[in-house]
This record gives sequence, structure tokens and C-alpha cells, in this order.
Amino acid sequence: MTAILEVDNLVKKYGDFEAVGGVSFSVEQGEVFGLLGPNGAGKTQTISMLTGVIEPTAGTARIGGYDIRSQMDQVKKINGLVPQDLALYPTLSARANLNFFGRIYGLRGKELKERVEDVLRIVALTDRADQAVDKYSGGMKRRVNIAAGLIHHPKLFFLDEPTVGVDPQSRNHIFESVLRLNRERGMSIVYTSHYMEEVELLCNRVAIIDQGKIIAMDTIKNLTALLGGGVIYVGLARVDDEILAGLAGLPAVAEATTVPSPVAPPASEEQALEAADRPPVSTEALVKVVAKQNQQAIVNVINYLNEHNQNLTSLEILEPNLESVFLHLTGKKLRE
Amino acid sequence: MAALSIAYKDLQILFKNRGLILQLFLMPILFTAIMSGALGSLGGDGEKDTRIPVAVVNLDGGEASRQFINGLEAAGGVRVESYSQAEAQALFDDSQIMRIVTIPANFSTNLDSNHPSTIQILNHKDAQIQETEAVRLVVEGVAQDMTLESQILFSLQQMGEMNAAAPTVYQQAFSTENLQRQARAQFEAARSQKLVSINQRTPAQQAEEERLAEEQPRLEDVTVPGFAVLFVFMTAQTTALSIYNEKKVGSFRRLLAAPISKVTLLGGKMLPNVITGILQIVVLFAFGVWGMRALGLKPVSLGNDYLALVLTLLLLVLCSTAMGILIAAIARTEGQIGGLSTLLLWGLGFLGGCFMPLFLLERFLKQLPMVVPHYWAKRALESLLIRGVGLADIGLELAALSGFILLFLAFGLWKFDFD
Ligand SMILES: Nc1ncnc2c1ncn2[C@@H]1O[C@H](COP(=O)(O)OP(=O)(O)OP(=O)(O)O)[C@@H](O)[C@H]1O
Ligand SMILES: [Mg+2]
Repeated sequence: MTAILEVDNLVKKYGDFEAVGGVSFSVEQGEVFGLLGPNGAGKTQTISMLTGVIEPTAGTARIGGYDIRSQMDQVKKINGLVPQDLALYPTLSARANLNFFGRIYGLRGKELKERVEDVLRIVALTDRADQAVDKYSGGMKRRVNIAAGLIHHPKLFFLDEPTVGVDPQSRNHIFESVLRLNRERGMSIVYTSHYMEEVELLCNRVAIIDQGKIIAMDTIKNLTALLGGGVIYVGLARVDDEILAGLAGLPAVAEATTVPSPVAPPASEEQALEAADRPPVSTEALVKVVAKQNQQAIVNVINYLNEHNQNLTSLEILEPNLESVFLHLTGKKLRE
Repeated sequence: MAALSIAYKDLQILFKNRGLILQLFLMPILFTAIMSGALGSLGGDGEKDTRIPVAVVNLDGGEASRQFINGLEAAGGVRVESYSQAEAQALFDDSQIMRIVTIPANFSTNLDSNHPSTIQILNHKDAQIQETEAVRLVVEGVAQDMTLESQILFSLQQMGEMNAAAPTVYQQAFSTENLQRQARAQFEAARSQKLVSINQRTPAQQAEEERLAEEQPRLEDVTVPGFAVLFVFMTAQTTALSIYNEKKVGSFRRLLAAPISKVTLLGGKMLPNVITGILQIVVLFAFGVWGMRALGLKPVSLGNDYLALVLTLLLLVLCSTAMGILIAAIARTEGQIGGLSTLLLWGLGFLGGCFMPLFLLERFLKQLPMVVPHYWAKRALESLLIRGVGLADIGLELAALSGFILLFLAFGLWKFDFD
């Protein structure tokens, strides 16, 4: 496999402020690469430098073998960009917008017409293509925004938070389109988000970026393995120091602590992060077991409790995820 | 090509904006109609006689002089009013009539005997230059026709007489061929030796006063050039706003990420301003010529030098475009581009004399208006349209306008922020 994108120590400064503080990564041909980071991390700035919207302060990158500093003209033909903002002309129809962006990329006549129809099909907006964009729903606008970036059939497609403010239906549609572009057309994709579920769903590899720096980069599997295991909440009828010490001493268990006053259980994965600090189930006593390796820890905990005739009143297992990885690495949550 | 695509897209957006269309195209027409109507004291009955009145003093009274007067009437454009010499002089001195055409005493006899005579045109110092010019053309035209006619009649008569007296053997000398040759010669002669010549003069006044009189157009004459300048410059705001919106919406990022140069990008953003400006001028001048006539108002004159007019208008449009880039480069907020620059553009228009003749403006503001481009554009247009001068006489104005274009562009491009 060859890399379509190689970023080499890219820096963007505004005065003394480093918006991007020297990031390096590479994206393989046909890969979906995620840039995950909180607000202001430098995701948009990085993409802007790679697409020629702004000039890097230092460092460089090669896209399709062309240097972004000296061969931007070539690079621009390879790149497709879906900006974070809805970069469309609101009073023009979707078709007029797409026609325009197609012409900007030198498409004309029959070819232009075919491409416009093609991208409209990809985002499933053929029916309403002649309506002014400002009459569209938020999700539909986002889909046109994506279509506009696809019009010239880019090899490397940058999507900057393409699902912001989108209903679940449109969001699923966008995911499907992205995956299809990757699988059926072999498009390499750089996808930024601060939704870890999106990145986990779409991306082969992820760079976690914070305050202009990449703090971790790997496959999602390897990243979550950073945490080792997960967290297991065990509800018990009765708990004492002996039991706690026994649990903590088990193989594959890192620590075991009692959780104070019980609260409502976590409802969704979104709240999983908060749940890591709070007991999910209300019982007489709740023990939080931090596992080195989930599977093994669960077996050991249950065996230990059986051996000591302890009644298990509840059991909750939290899988390790990027959200917890981020928390682990920065001590911060991805989203406030 | 990409620049054209950008321009085309911008014009698509512009023409979807009804309010803007009204502002750019309809408002100047309304302003022109209202101002001209108010200033030109709308002529009551609606079917106003737009012909130029000409006082004719006929000292001859013969057949040829009547023919001459009929010729003037038939030519259209002028309205003959007959006076005695004394009457005419009195009205002229009282500035009630602007010009007297005098037919000399022996006009008919001279013409009959193929002797030259001279028609006098006396112009008042307050007479409007293009009216004077129009009257001269009409009088000259009629005079030339009469010269030709009388010379041909005279020669035919001569030949007829000779023919009658000649013996048969010589009759071949008067063949059709010879007659035609003779007629052609007479036609040439009528052109070169004018039987009826024109002598035109304006009574000697103080030279300065006369110059001022020439330069003082009536208020209603300056509305079309004034509002053309004002509203073409208003288009600069549209350009600035369009650039601002691209940045706000983020489409500018897309354009920057596309394989087009920054020059192309800026060119594409400037082109619609040029096209809109040209359209505005065409619409407003078309109204000035035909619409004003339909409303019973005095139509605008297009002057004598069309090339100079086109050049001036083109520089006006380019200056407005450069100003658009300048506003886009220095304005930071939508408010600055919207409200503030509207105020600024009206202010500059006022200062530059878009609302009144320049001689009035200069009486109040002296040299001050010279600091705004509107002034120079308006001054060039007034000179061309009202004083009827040519390209050579508006060199200074065009140079000043070009200077403003370069200044605006240089500063605008220097300050332009592509991010
Ligand atoms: N033109 C600019 N001048 C100064 N600072 C800027 C400029 N543009 C961006 N920044 C700063 O650079 C940092 C990174 O911004 P960037 O837009 O890349 O963040 P992001 O990761 O895309 O965040 P978000 O998820 O909110 O889109 C931010 O602190 C931002 O304030
Ligand atoms: Mg961003």
C-alpha cells in the first residue's frame, strides 16, 4: 500500500498562538482516516492547510506525491473538500450550486451534466435538486455540501465535521455515502469529528488531536487497548474491606473500590463517560472494578464471589472506547 | 473561463435578489424622472412642443424666402416664429428669444439670378449650445437644398434658351448625355460655391461671462449623468457584499481549495460589477433618451463624441469595481459593508456633484469635490453631454478617474484578506 497523504510536521501559527503545533501523519490509499478532537483542537486548520485554503507556517505535506507548498495546483485536483460550514449559495438551487462548482473544476457540457446527476444520486437529492438550497432542511443542506465536494471525483476526500446539526436519518445516510465512496470508488477519506461513535464506525485509523498536537494515532482497536480493559460495576448485598481486597487481588483486575451513594443507571453510550465515575445500578453496595482485561476480569470476579458465597445483585460492564481513551490521555472529555 | 463561471454565478445570485435589482436599476430611473420633472417644470399639457423656437426676420418677402421658411418648418426640430426686425431685437435683448435668423432683403432676386446671399444667425449668449448647433444644422441643410435647386433650375433655363435659338445641326449638342453632364457639374458647383451661405455669431459679451454661460447647464440636464455616476458607484457595495457573503458562508474556502488562481478568483468577483455597471448605464441612458421623451421631458443629449462617452463610462464602471474591492478589503463587518458604505456612497455622490450641476457645487464647495472620483466622472460627462466637447477636452478628468482606479485597486489588493 502507498500513502496518498503524508503530513510532515505541519505548523500553523497566529502570532504566538500555535493553532497547529507540528502534526505528522499519513493516510494510505483507500483508507478512511479519522481526526478526532475537541473544539479548537486544530482539525479545521490542519485540513485547511492540506487543501490550500491557508498557508502553513512551517512543515509540509505530500498528496499523491505532490508537495503542497510547491505543487498546490496538482494537489488541488486530487483533493475534494467538504468544509465544516455550509459552503453553498443559499439562493441558488442545489443543481445550480453543483453546476457552478463543477465549472470551477473545469467540467463542461455533457460531462458536467453527468457528474451533477451522479453526485445528486450519491446524496439522494435528485428529486429536489431544483429547489433553492435555503429551502432545504439542515440534513439536506449537509448532503448538498458533500455533493459539492465530490463533483470533480477527488481521490482524497476531506470531510470536516460533515454531520454537525444533522438529524439521525440524514446522518446515517451520510455515513452510508462515505462508506460507499470508500468501498465502491476507492476514495481515500480524511474525516474529522468530535463524535467518537462516528469515527469508530467509519475509520480504519484515528489520530486524536488536542491543542494542535496529535496525542495518539493508531487503529481503534489498538487505541482502546491502551486502556487495557474497561470498568465493571458489581452490585453486592454486602461489602467489606476483605471482599474489596480479595477482588483487587484477582488476576486481570487493577483495582476495586466501593462507590458511594447510588444514582440512576446510564441510559446510552453517550453517557457512558459520566457513568465511568458514577454507579449505574442502585443496590445496597456497589463496587467499581477497573479491569486490565475485561473478559478475564469478569470470569475471575464472578468465580471469586461464588467461592465466597456473595450474592451478585447487578453486573454492568463498560467496554473501553475512544471517549475513555481521550479522557485517559488528556484528563478531559471530548465534549462538554 | 473560471472567472466567467464565477461572474455568471454572481449574476445569477444578483438577479434573484429583487430588492437589489430595484435599487440598482429602477431607483436611478425614478430619481432621474422625478428630479428632471421637478426641475424642468413639467410642461402642463403633456403634449409639449419640444421643437426649438427660432425667430425669423424676413427682410426679403419674395418667393425664395417663403420657400426657405417652409423648408425650415418642414425640416422638423425647429419652430419658426416670424417677427419684424425691431420686435425680434427687443425680445432678444430681453433674453426672451435665444436666436434670430435673418433673411436678407434681396434674397429672392439674388437666388433667381444665381447670385450669392448670406443668411444671418444671431445667437444669444445664454443660448444652449446643442440647440444652437441643431438650429445651425437645420438652416444650413435648407440653404444647401435651395442652392442646388436654384442652380439646376438656372442652368436648365439657360440651356433651354440656347436650345430654342440653335439651328438643327447643333441640336445634338443638347443630347441627354450632355444635359446630364451639365447637371452633374452644377451639383458639384452647388457644393463648392454656396449660393446661400450662413453667417453665425454670438454678440460679443465679456469673454468670461460667455464661457460661464456655456458651462452652466440647466438643472434638469445633469440628472442623467449625475445619477449614472451615483448609482454605478453604488454597485461597488454589491461587489463588496458578495465577497463578504462568500467568506461568511464559507464558499470562498471552496474556491480557494479549487484549482483556480487568486487572480482568477478576484477577476471573477469583479466582472459582475463591470457587467452590472454597463447594464445600469445602458438602462439609464436609454431611459434618458426615450423614456424622458415619452414622459414629455427633455431627452438627454449624448454629445458629439461617442467614443469619448463610451471611454468615460467604462472608466466610471471600472472605478466603481475597484472601489468594491477596496470596500471588501477594509470593511470588517456586515454593518460596515451594508449601512456604513451606503451612507458613504451617498455622501461621496453628494460631494462629487451627482445631485446638482457642477458650477453650483463648486460655488459652495470650491475645490473640495475634487477629492472624490464621482466629481471627475460627472465633470467628464457634463463636458461631453452638455458642452458637447470631445475626447481631447476631457483628458484631465479621465486621467483623474484612472488615477482613482489604480489607487483603489492597489490599496484594495494590498489589504485584501483571502482567509
Ligand atoms: N484566523 C485565525 N486567527 C487566529 N486563530 C485562529 C484562526 N483560525 C483558527 N484559529 C484558532 O486555531 C485553533 C484551532 O481551530 P480549528 O478551527 O482548527 O479547530 P477545530 O479542531 O476545527 O475545532 P471545531 O471542532 O470547533 O471545528 C482554535 O483555537 C482557533 O481559535
Ligand atoms: Mg473545525
